[in-house]
Amino acid sequence: MMSKNSSRRKIVPTKVTDWVAPSFDDFFGNTNILSSTLLVKSSGEANQHQKRKDHSSVPESSKNKVLARIKGKSSSIDHICDHSKQNQSQSQNEPWVDKYKPGTQNELAVHKKKIEEVESWLKAQIFQRQPKQGGSVLVLTGPPGCGKSATIQILTKELHVQVQEWTNPISLDFRKEDFKDAFNYESSFQMLPSQAQTTLFQDFLLRANKYNKLQMLGESTEADDKLILIEDMPNQFYRDRDSLHEILRRFVRTSRCPLVFIISDSLSGDSNQKLLFTKEIQEELCISSISFNPVAPTMMMKVLNRIATAEASMNGEKFAVPDKTSLELICKGCSGDIRSAINSLQFSSLKEYSSENNLWSRKKGKSTLKSNTEASRTKKKKKADKTLENQEIQAIGGKDASIFLFHALGKILYCKRESLSDSEFPRLPSHLSEYERDTLLVQPEDIVEKSHMPGDLFNLYLHQNYVDFFTDIDDLVRASEYLSTADFLCSNWNSRPTLREYSASVATRGVIHSNTARAFAHCQGGMGFRPFHKPQWFLINKKYQENCLAAKSLFSSFCLPPLCLQTQLLPFLAMLTNPMRNQAQIAFIQDVGRLPLKRHFGGLKLETLTDKDLGMPGFENIDEGDLSAMRPLEVLVQLEKNQINETELDEFPLTSSQASGSELPGSQPQPITAQAIMEEDELKIDEYDSD
Amino acid sequence: MSLWADKYRPCALGRVDYHREQAAQLRNLVQCGDFPHLLVYGPSGAGKKTRIMCLLRELYGAGVEKLRIEHQSITTPSKKKIEISTIASNYHLEVNPSDAGNSDRVVIQELLKTVAQSQQLETSTQRDFKVVLLTEVDKLTKDAQHALRRTMEKYMATCRLILCCNSVSKIIAPIQSRCLAVRVPAPSIEDICHVLSSVCKKEGLTLPQDLARRLAEKSGRNLRKALLMCEACRVQQYPFTSDQDIPETDWEVYLRETANAIVSQQTPQRLLEVRGRLYELLTHCIPPEIIMKGLLSELLNNCDGQLKGEVAQMAAFYEHRLQLGSKAIYHLEAFVAKFMALYKKFMEDGLEDMMF
Amino acid sequence: MQAFLKGPSSISTKAPASKERGTAAAAAAAGGSGEGMRLKPIPWVEKYRPKCVDEVAFQEEVVAVLKKSLEGADLPNLLFYGPPGTGKTSTILALARDLYGPELFRQRVLELNASDERGIQVIREKVKTFAQLTVSGSRSDGKVCPPFKIVILDEADSMTSAAQAALRRTMEKESKTTRFCLICNYISRIIEPLTSRCSKFRFKPLTDKIQQQRLWAVSEKENVKVSNEAISCLVQVSEGDLRKAITFLQSATRLTGGKEITEKVVTEIAGVVPKETIDGLLSACQSGSFEKLETVVKNLINEGYAAAQLVNQLHDDIVEREDLTDKQKSIIAEKLAEVDKCLTDGADEYLQLISLCAVVMQQLTQNG
Repeated sequence: MMSKNSSRRKIVPTKVTDWVAPSFDDFFGNTNILSSTLLVKSSGEANQHQKRKDHSSVPESSKNKVLARIKGKSSSIDHICDHSKQNQSQSQNEPWVDKYKPGTQNELAVHKKKIEEVESWLKAQIFQRQPKQGGSVLVLTGPPGCGKSATIQILTKELHVQVQEWTNPISLDFRKEDFKDAFNYESSFQMLPSQAQTTLFQDFLLRANKYNKLQMLGESTEADDKLILIEDMPNQFYRDRDSLHEILRRFVRTSRCPLVFIISDSLSGDSNQKLLFTKEIQEELCISSISFNPVAPTMMMKVLNRIATAEASMNGEKFAVPDKTSLELICKGCSGDIRSAINSLQFSSLKEYSSENNLWSRKKGKSTLKSNTEASRTKKKKKADKTLENQEIQAIGGKDASIFLFHALGKILYCKRESLSDSEFPRLPSHLSEYERDTLLVQPEDIVEKSHMPGDLFNLYLHQNYVDFFTDIDDLVRASEYLSTADFLCSNWNSRPTLREYSASVATRGVIHSNTARAFAHCQGGMGFRPFHKPQWFLINKKYQENCLAAKSLFSSFCLPPLCLQTQLLPFLAMLTNPMRNQAQIAFIQDVGRLPLKRHFGGLKLETLTDKDLGMPGFENIDEGDLSAMRPLEVLVQLEKNQINETELDEFPLTSSQASGSELPGSQPQPITAQAIMEEDELKIDEYDSD
Repeated sequence: MSLWADKYRPCALGRVDYHREQAAQLRNLVQCGDFPHLLVYGPSGAGKKTRIMCLLRELYGAGVEKLRIEHQSITTPSKKKIEISTIASNYHLEVNPSDAGNSDRVVIQELLKTVAQSQQLETSTQRDFKVVLLTEVDKLTKDAQHALRRTMEKYMATCRLILCCNSVSKIIAPIQSRCLAVRVPAPSIEDICHVLSSVCKKEGLTLPQDLARRLAEKSGRNLRKALLMCEACRVQQYPFTSDQDIPETDWEVYLRETANAIVSQQTPQRLLEVRGRLYELLTHCIPPEIIMKGLLSELLNNCDGQLKGEVAQMAAFYEHRLQLGSKAIYHLEAFVAKFMALYKKFMEDGLEDMMF
Repeated sequence: MQAFLKGPSSISTKAPASKERGTAAAAAAAGGSGEGMRLKPIPWVEKYRPKCVDEVAFQEEVVAVLKKSLEGADLPNLLFYGPPGTGKTSTILALARDLYGPELFRQRVLELNASDERGIQVIREKVKTFAQLTVSGSRSDGKVCPPFKIVILDEADSMTSAAQAALRRTMEKESKTTRFCLICNYISRIIEPLTSRCSKFRFKPLTDKIQQQRLWAVSEKENVKVSNEAISCLVQVSEGDLRKAITFLQSATRLTGGKEITEKVVTEIAGVVPKETIDGLLSACQSGSFEKLETVVKNLINEGYAAAQLVNQLHDDIVEREDLTDKQKSIIAEKLAEVDKCLTDGADEYLQLISLCAVVMQQLTQNG
């Protein structure tokens, strides 16, 4: 969560406040407090005190801190004055994100239906509550900058609902450092142990609940409906989601006001929402969830246009307001993040900048050229071109355009091409004509990179899905050979990190090239939709390793090398009537020694890949070898649980397999006690009787 | 009731059923006093382990048959804990170092160090050295083999190594030159027939000669497999008849079905189906190289001379890649695809020849 | 584990064990090696190492130069190279013994081989401290001895090039008091600056005759009965490596236990595939029947022969065949190389052999 936060702050220049971030944020000392202090500095502390009282329901501790800091600030007011002078000159270029934050529903760059959805939920929970109904929970998800917070903010304002927000207290620590330099101020903050965060969070939730009938000074009396907003999730919960669930359960039981979580999706991998709010808990507590989409380009254009015209009319001399094409480019470059779009708009319209470097206009020229050529093409191709174009826009303020795995796979497997005109390129000589292909419209390397996956993992996804796209067996041979080569390339441990990329390149390009059915632009239709699946390999490999280890430990008394054990002994044991002493062994033999003959393969379920899936983050770093280190114990302990314990658990006199007939025959499977396995750390010495 | 293969395992060098000359040589070796490091190699089911245990018994007496399974944990310099199980008597220690995967070097060094540096056996006992039996040495990394070579020299005074493996090809030359190599060939068909009959006699069963021979041939000169099959036959049907079905393991049957599926149709859909079957085999603990070999021999039965050579080369090519690569399925699938294409072309050509 | 480490100290386990031992123990006692007073058996390779420079077999040029230094001339830094088992280490040890006599020998000679840790650190520390000790020019028995020490770096080609570079400085600095003798198999793996500082001696592979003489001498001293064929077979399988030959001889003696050593025993120990088997394989290839080839290869694997060894022997055989054209030979040789590489990579022996034989078969049947 912290990392997400900080990354967001990187996108937004530090002195800028998010326009979507609600203003009540400032009490916890977001940089807003600086500007608010500047504005009200003449009116003095009383004003601030009052403002503070407005939020009397915030946790006691953080309240104190804020108070303390404000005192500190006023004591070094001279310092601030210096600061303010600098700021004064810049006040008119207040960040546009803040300046043009939406004030009404109409200004929101969110789809109408989404707003309605949220609104109806809010209304249902606040105004039509049954008296005995408990607290209700809503989870809002979506990529950053799609207007989640803004929607809530505006809706609550319009519905006259008061909002209480939780901010992680831990952030005070670093804020303290920040202010130290500026104000030369010795902190008297009480340090908060990070463990207490959860407790604080719980206090906050339940207290906010309890005091909701209190009248607050300065607030209009009608606003006694309340909403708790949590955007900043305590870190602790990512490690221990059960405690969150526990708190939520308590909340739902006791609370009288709705609770809203806002969680941003991140492309880097873990899907926070899935992690924190599992299906079970969602069902258990009737948590509603609404997912926001990235801001649509048309909406984005509307907002950008509005801002551009407003700015042009206000400070025409200071800003060179970009024309429509550049707006479009900005719009494309930010991949649906409106916050980033507005920021880049502001940045790019600074006059000094554009006259000095002329970077934007140069780019503009380039891209108009691009769009000219584009115009000659068909509409369909234009769409495919989008990825190519994206690269060029990214230079200024553009966001990293990422592609979801689903789309990445699609781009590779459906490989869009553009037909060559004869005059442009030399044809291949006739004996090589089978390698003739139309120009690719995708850059496989880019796609792999943007899917945020290591090359070898991407290859696995590709491998799982490529066969469906081939019709000719000869093509398939070539494709499978390329995949085999790709795996071979990154076989060496030392060179794997570098060769991984090449391997992905070989695999993707190999698969694309070998599909002769899609070699030319004109023969690309009629493929229809094919579902994608997640690779089964991880599961298979894991199972293979686990089974091998289980076999090894269950049948270690046979003293056989694994190969014989797995291919000879186990299958035959399944056929023999030898009494196994041990349930686990019997179960294992039946499971592994037997294969479903004469039946169609159906044991393994295919897991469909959806367009939002981000790969399997958990598996990325497990390399085959590591499995052996961690699995055996779990497997064994589990297997041993099934086992019918025998009387002499502590001893297992193992006779040699060569033992003569009179002694206990060596091949008799000896139970390995669960104890022995769990005590592997020590050297275990077993006493035995000589007779 | 234990398996016949274990129940009737000879326990003295004087009583082994075949390779008697070699057994006599091994007895000479024990008697001549200075016992070198040994490298015992031969195919699976040839009786390497039996001979080694006989040899140990010859060296130390019946005490070596009191075995214990122990679990040890060894910490690598990088603080990774490795669990490894060993089988030990008072005189020897058996370990399969390849269990430790990539950390096999550390395991070898640590184990040998503890064994070799520990207090010597009392002088009243017969030998002044202990034996460490390392199995599957051919699976060791090169790194571990080099470490082994150094440790071998270092601890020669207090311990001897017996290395056991299927093939010496994968063992580095310095180790080979420091060991006395003992080759244990697979028993001949006649040897196996003989052993089968004598085991059946001891069990009080009569085994028809023909059946014995068929069992021996089917086992591919693997005595353990022959005995297991014989025992499975006994479960299936007794009294034996000379033409009764010899039970096969499920995975072999499954593999044959898979091969038939490949031969009967060559389409991408079939390839997907085959992939599923390969996955199924893998989850049932059949190692990929075995799958490759089994597939090859089944597929070879379905094609003609010229094609056979080509298919065999392909199999060798992809098996090599499979050993080096990290994900076996790519290579298995590539092989299957390649075979499909070759076979399809072959059939089409054949069809054309018939037409004209 | 601990029980194993302690050994059978408890009486309960020892008593039955010693009874069972019976015959074996008696045999051992009869062999004259009573418990406790048994001599440590020395490997014959050590036992029959040449004691002085004169005894070194076959390397006349080297011996001539070294003898001069025995007569008082200065000794250059030395670099011995050549195939294994040709007497490189023996020569320098013999020379040192001649120079210093048995007493000073230990003080004046530092021997480091690949088994020791030999990083840069060791070269810097160990070699330096040893080299910095000054020595006098006389022996305790009054004879004159050269005023320098000798550092022997065995298997120098397995040293890292960084360590070799570190050695270069040391060599120059300590040239007053120390001579270095580097021993390696491949001179190409020694860095140029080092080779230029040493006088290089190439050790030739021993001729069959010299080897036979040595082997006869050893077997005579050890009272071993060996057949003529066995000796020539030993020479053949050892490929000019006398150490290997002597080790094989000793192993064979151990295995046969007093009986005559025959050719068969020698081939067995050396792991060599018998000529008949190779011929069988080639004739299977010649027949053009793939089924036949399959069975032959399967049997080969079942016999336990190492595929790598087989590849080597096949190579020898193919190269000398007269019914193959050069082009065919080169095709086969290329496949041989590929298979050898795959085998070292851990590929399956059966599959590799089959694919090799398929190529051989293709080539053999082409012209027939």
